[in-house]
Amino acid sequence: MAIYLAKRLAASAVTALLASLVVFLLVRSVPGDVVGQMLGQTSDPVAAKALREFFGLDQPIWRQYFGWLARVLTADFGTSWTRGQPVLGMIGAALAVTIQLAFATLFLATLIGVPLGILAAMHEGGAIDRTVQALNLLGLAAPVFWIGLMLLVGVSSGFDWSPPLMYVPPTQSLFENLSIMALPVLSLALLQAAAYSQFVRQSIISALGQDYVRTAIAKGVSTRVIFFKHLLRNIAIPLVTFMGLILIQILGGAVIIESLFALPGLGRLLLSSIETRDYPVLQAGLLAVVVIAMLVNLAVDLSYRIIDPRVRLS
Amino acid sequence: MSSSDMFGLIDRRTLLAMGGLAAAAAIIRPAAAADLYGPKAADAKSGGTLNMGLLVEPPGLDPFHQAADARIRLTVLIYQGLFYESPDGTAMPLLAEGFDLSSDRLVYTIRLRKGVKFHSGEAMTAKDVAYSYNYIRDAKNGSPGAGDFAMITAIEPTDELTVKITISAPNAALPMTLGNKYGGVVPAGYFEAADAKTKLNQASVGTGPFKLAEFKPNSNATLVRNADYWEPGVPYLDRINFVFVPNAASLLVGLRNKRIDIATLARPQDVKQVEGVAGLVVERKPSFNQKAIDLGAELKPLDDERVRRAISLAVDKDEIMRASIGGLGNVIGTMVAGMQESWGVPLDKLPNQKVDIAAARKLLAEAGHPDGFALTLTSIIGYDWMDAAAVTLREQLGKIGINLSIQRVELGVWVKNFQSKQMGFTFNDWATVPDPNLLFYRHFHKAPEGADFRNWKNDKASALLDEGRTENDPAKRREIYTRYQQVMAESVPTIMLFSADHMVVRNDKVRNYDQHPTGWYYGLARAWIA
Repeated sequence: MAIYLAKRLAASAVTALLASLVVFLLVRSVPGDVVGQMLGQTSDPVAAKALREFFGLDQPIWRQYFGWLARVLTADFGTSWTRGQPVLGMIGAALAVTIQLAFATLFLATLIGVPLGILAAMHEGGAIDRTVQALNLLGLAAPVFWIGLMLLVGVSSGFDWSPPLMYVPPTQSLFENLSIMALPVLSLALLQAAAYSQFVRQSIISALGQDYVRTAIAKGVSTRVIFFKHLLRNIAIPLVTFMGLILIQILGGAVIIESLFALPGLGRLLLSSIETRDYPVLQAGLLAVVVIAMLVNLAVDLSYRIIDPRVRLS
Repeated sequence: MSSSDMFGLIDRRTLLAMGGLAAAAAIIRPAAAADLYGPKAADAKSGGTLNMGLLVEPPGLDPFHQAADARIRLTVLIYQGLFYESPDGTAMPLLAEGFDLSSDRLVYTIRLRKGVKFHSGEAMTAKDVAYSYNYIRDAKNGSPGAGDFAMITAIEPTDELTVKITISAPNAALPMTLGNKYGGVVPAGYFEAADAKTKLNQASVGTGPFKLAEFKPNSNATLVRNADYWEPGVPYLDRINFVFVPNAASLLVGLRNKRIDIATLARPQDVKQVEGVAGLVVERKPSFNQKAIDLGAELKPLDDERVRRAISLAVDKDEIMRASIGGLGNVIGTMVAGMQESWGVPLDKLPNQKVDIAAARKLLAEAGHPDGFALTLTSIIGYDWMDAAAVTLREQLGKIGINLSIQRVELGVWVKNFQSKQMGFTFNDWATVPDPNLLFYRHFHKAPEGADFRNWKNDKASALLDEGRTENDPAKRREIYTRYQQVMAESVPTIMLFSADHMVVRNDKVRNYDQHPTGWYYGLARAWIA
């Protein structure tokens, strides 16, 4: 296990290194730079040159990359070019919001999606199944911005209420934080719950046709035991894989919901950094997304062993 | 209250007349506090927090290196220059108290206001003023204002509260240039610290009515009242939270539910969604903004003046304005709406303003394009008005055989093309401070004195811009800029379409907020909460 973990972490480090190069080149391939954005239509060539020198943009690109990499390896992610704040602090603050959003969404989506999927599978072809399927289709087809917007406008018109627009961390006021997070979490969770429910339903239906289920039924094992002891355990591994994918998806792509509900999360930070060509923030933010995705994948792989001790990690 | 009422103590004509007599010794009497930023309120209550919703987040709060309008809107409350851009076009003394102008009109001796303190607590002196403006004008320091200050040859303190500014040629727009768009006065030596540029986003060192308390990217910027502010009794508000709300739907919902006390709308037509809502007040104010079509002469056949004129004759500005902002603005000719009265030429006195398809076709035929040609229009992603305007324009130009294709680009790409003078045929959206020299010179004077972004290279226009800049007599100056506008309308380097009005939506408990035509939030220095 320890050897496996060490190998995976080493492989992850190499992947992160390669990703850092790709990210570095990618952000620089977008036309325009921070100096153009700062000077705008008033651009003066001498001023532009001075600013390019200040930001090190006059250096050859390989020197810029290795300079940045050397600093990153000492945990120095630099300072935002436009906001003047330490990049690490900015990423950390944004990540805290997005992580809360992601885990709360995962929790709510699991709470809604898994029981609905089970219910549908248990009544395959019946009215309940058809209703759940219809709801799933609706959830999967509706774009997340539309769900968010409808919730926002609906709640506002119905209750003369809308979430506060200035984010408050849960450590400062849990109530305020929950009132800010409720609608964005619900918007994302409705979509993910539909995917979940569909996945769970399909997994159970295909498991029901397996020999071990037929054997258990033949042996007279109760439906409840078959369900919770055999079926759920067997679909647990694909379910955890699925949860991992959802988590990565939300962590890396919650920009629409964050923008709609004015949440200062990682997606919005990345978007604004692209607009301002704030390379230090953009590079660190994208690298954070890559590292998170790798860590989530690693955690998912390790969880296989916990779910099923027969699984050998190699 | 009209702008002329607001600035009753020194009116524009008086100031300009004084400028006209300036060859001897122009002295502007100290501005009364009520002149600045809007009227003081007789019945104001001090205290309280105001939440202002911003659709566009300032990319930073550094007034010395960041040109974005979203930055200027806020930082005018934090940093102050020597003069204030009053809506009627006069440069009113702000940190200056008045000035004397030498007989050759090359040396401004500026007396500074007494008792001004920086947010850091130090007293402001002439040394600080000289340091700050010398910093901006040295292009090596990377300030976007450097170009505007190129005519200054020296700035030096002569005593504790007097500074002498020497310029290379007479320039009637100098006081307006020493306004609040770029820079402001900061303590001498401020930029010697290695982290000075980035620190401006965390702690303010200006002299303005508000101090920066917090700047959280993607969340909010919070300003607090400057207790040591030099104007007695103002500002009234204790705190302003600028809340960054990146979409109009959330902003409008926030206004309805009183999460937001005041906001200006990026799309004027959005106002329909909050009109008539109890507790909300909607106000419409003129602007110094212009939505325009630029015609870069580097792109053939736009180098042919006949083609540019033909395009101008095919454009129905009113139809584009109605399609793109619901008609909530003013069609313009060669001057932004907020300056039309002071400096503009009536549209019916300008060539190429009225739609004339037959004349346009004739011009195209003369230019060798009897069947029209294919042309690509660039519009910027995120500028909503451009999308509707582009479709309308395609229809209009189709009538003279121009087959318009529309290319939407991201702002960074557009700025790069603009700066490298490769803008081609594009929409533009920009604003000015109220002086014709600052509006036209840099954009339209040929290089190297101006940037001539549209590759117009018009000698006659450049000569008139030089003349207008050096002339101090208001009547003669106006006449020069009238002639300049005639040249511009005739040759069509740009087609100024319309100025969109500022639409301010506020909770009725927010009082005495007057939206400045620049779009900057000066009015918050006079607003209060009932």
